[in-house]
Amino acid sequence: MKDKSHIITIFSLVIIFVIIGFIVDWFLHPESFDKYGHYRWNAVNEILSQKVVNQNIKTCAKCHDNIYQLHQKDAHYNVPCVDCHGAGNLHVTFHQGGKDSAKITKAQAVIGKKYTLEGCLFCHRKLKSRPSDFPQINQEEHYKFLNVKSLSTKCIECHSPHEPIFLLTDVKESRLHPIVYKCTDCHDKKPVRDFNEVPDHPKIFECKDCHSDIVKSFDERPHHKYVECRTCHLFHKENETVGRMYKNGNAKFCLLCHEKKDFKSDKYPPKIEWPSHLGNLKFLVNVDQRICLDCHSNQIHKMNLKANSNPHPNNWKFEHKKYVNAKSDVKQVYACGFCHTKNDCYNCHQVEIPHSEDFIQGGHKDVVAKKGKQVCAKCHNQDFCAQCH
Amino acid sequence: MNIENIDRRRFLQLGLLSSSGVLVGSLYAFSNREVKKEFKTYDDLRHYDWGYVVDTTRCIGCGSCVRACKIENNVPDTFFRTWVERYEINKNDVVRVDSPNGALESFQNNNFEKDVEKAFFVPKLCNHCINSACTQVCPVGASFHSPDGVVLIDKEHCVGCGYCVQACPYGCRYIDPVKGTADKCTLCYHRIQHGEAPACVNACPRNARIFGNLKDPKSKIRKILHQRRYGLLKPDLGTNPKCYYIGLDREVK
Repeated sequence: MKDKSHIITIFSLVIIFVIIGFIVDWFLHPESFDKYGHYRWNAVNEILSQKVVNQNIKTCAKCHDNIYQLHQKDAHYNVPCVDCHGAGNLHVTFHQGGKDSAKITKAQAVIGKKYTLEGCLFCHRKLKSRPSDFPQINQEEHYKFLNVKSLSTKCIECHSPHEPIFLLTDVKESRLHPIVYKCTDCHDKKPVRDFNEVPDHPKIFECKDCHSDIVKSFDERPHHKYVECRTCHLFHKENETVGRMYKNGNAKFCLLCHEKKDFKSDKYPPKIEWPSHLGNLKFLVNVDQRICLDCHSNQIHKMNLKANSNPHPNNWKFEHKKYVNAKSDVKQVYACGFCHTKNDCYNCHQVEIPHSEDFIQGGHKDVVAKKGKQVCAKCHNQDFCAQCH
Repeated sequence: MNIENIDRRRFLQLGLLSSSGVLVGSLYAFSNREVKKEFKTYDDLRHYDWGYVVDTTRCIGCGSCVRACKIENNVPDTFFRTWVERYEINKNDVVRVDSPNGALESFQNNNFEKDVEKAFFVPKLCNHCINSACTQVCPVGASFHSPDGVVLIDKEHCVGCGYCVQACPYGCRYIDPVKGTADKCTLCYHRIQHGEAPACVNACPRNARIFGNLKDPKSKIRKILHQRRYGLLKPDLGTNPKCYYIGLDREVK
């Protein structure tokens, strides 16, 4: 039985090696390895314990609600706070209080403001590779156009970062405008013929294809040399078929070009002092609700206004047609009194405007007797009185 | 008390007391260790399968994502977990690709003076492949798939051999010069488990990066993948990336 003993030796050696192997493995095997797979399960929790640095916009909104509201309504609504202000984790933990806040000094908790010129150009520098519907500028051209003296002038001198283009209406309430046009966008009814059969039917649509009247009159006005439709009627592509159109008529938007500032030279475009311009408009009430277009709309498209003839230019009826020709219920809202005080009218006309209800019955006789027939002719046609008398 | 005078009853009493004392003490010690922090369990994580969509038609190449990632994860200089590439193709079909400093400070001028036919940005990051090459080659099991489908690195366990850096076909891994271990995008694992979006998604001003749970049929990412036409990077390698690119060009690799 000699053979048997050496087999036992081999087997016992193998078993000893296996046991040693298990013991070594026991010591070298990291905790929680192979628990759910060929990895250390505890590592997942270790990675999870890393601290969050970049703050969410909603965290910022908890304290800075007024800026958040402003920011949400304008074109930068999608730009999170962290892009310009930095991560902000120290700022938040410091002001939240608690254990961790004691370690942070006040100087560390100050939020950064990266409003450098370069910071804005990260997004808005004109590059061929940027999508064409994204607003981008060639800085030299832009400054030359506005006659800005120094190229190192910061963007924030004119544009507020939270409210860069001073939208009049909320971004989210702006109008959806189709990109792929349906026939009914221009035609009242769906045409019988396909557009391919119509000679000279436009295929790539421009503003003038649908809004020909307005574009034609726009081309006659001084603005057309310098700006496009899209400058004021901002267009933001949402998807393949539709985009958002925001009309911008806020006074601050016009002032981006037309405000007098130290760093701009006095050449084109014409500039005004602000807010002292509003101070000159004493004949207006609700001045703070006014937008430039209330008086200057003719500078943009349609209508021709003789300069400095406010409040009654030669074509004041045409200019005020929104108010004059409006249906009666609207007229009450847009009566002269909405802009002008009663005294403003009376000072020139010596008549109550708009006329009181009993004016036709009896009131007007006294006025005509005192001031003569010329009073009527200021507003009405020469043969207006003859209609009754 | 003399130990020789002890009777059986007394011995058993002492034994019971001392063992219960050890038990209570050890329980206390262990309970203290367990209190450390409550994290997600394995079953919690199985409810998720994180996916990522990059809409290249919306990217403006501002580099906000790159900067946010650097700060969030303390990524060393000249290394990137995410970066933005610029592709410019001119009339003669000459392609130029560049990514100056990973687009950390955006892009300066056009590469071609004129005649640029087509140009666009492509943000890149770890694709979190289903059949990832990098996890297969790891000799120590330090690179792994988490239960919610994120490719992670166990930095305590990694030996820094660099096999995974070689294996990744997308160049998304690097060796951390400070720690000497491999490192990569974790989809900001610490953020997504607390309900926050990854730092790059949080920082994107154009919604060009979309992140979400592929297992949730109502999630935004599922909706987009159903509606839009998307492509994958190097699909022929069979790595099954979970990072989907909308508007991908054939030049992009």
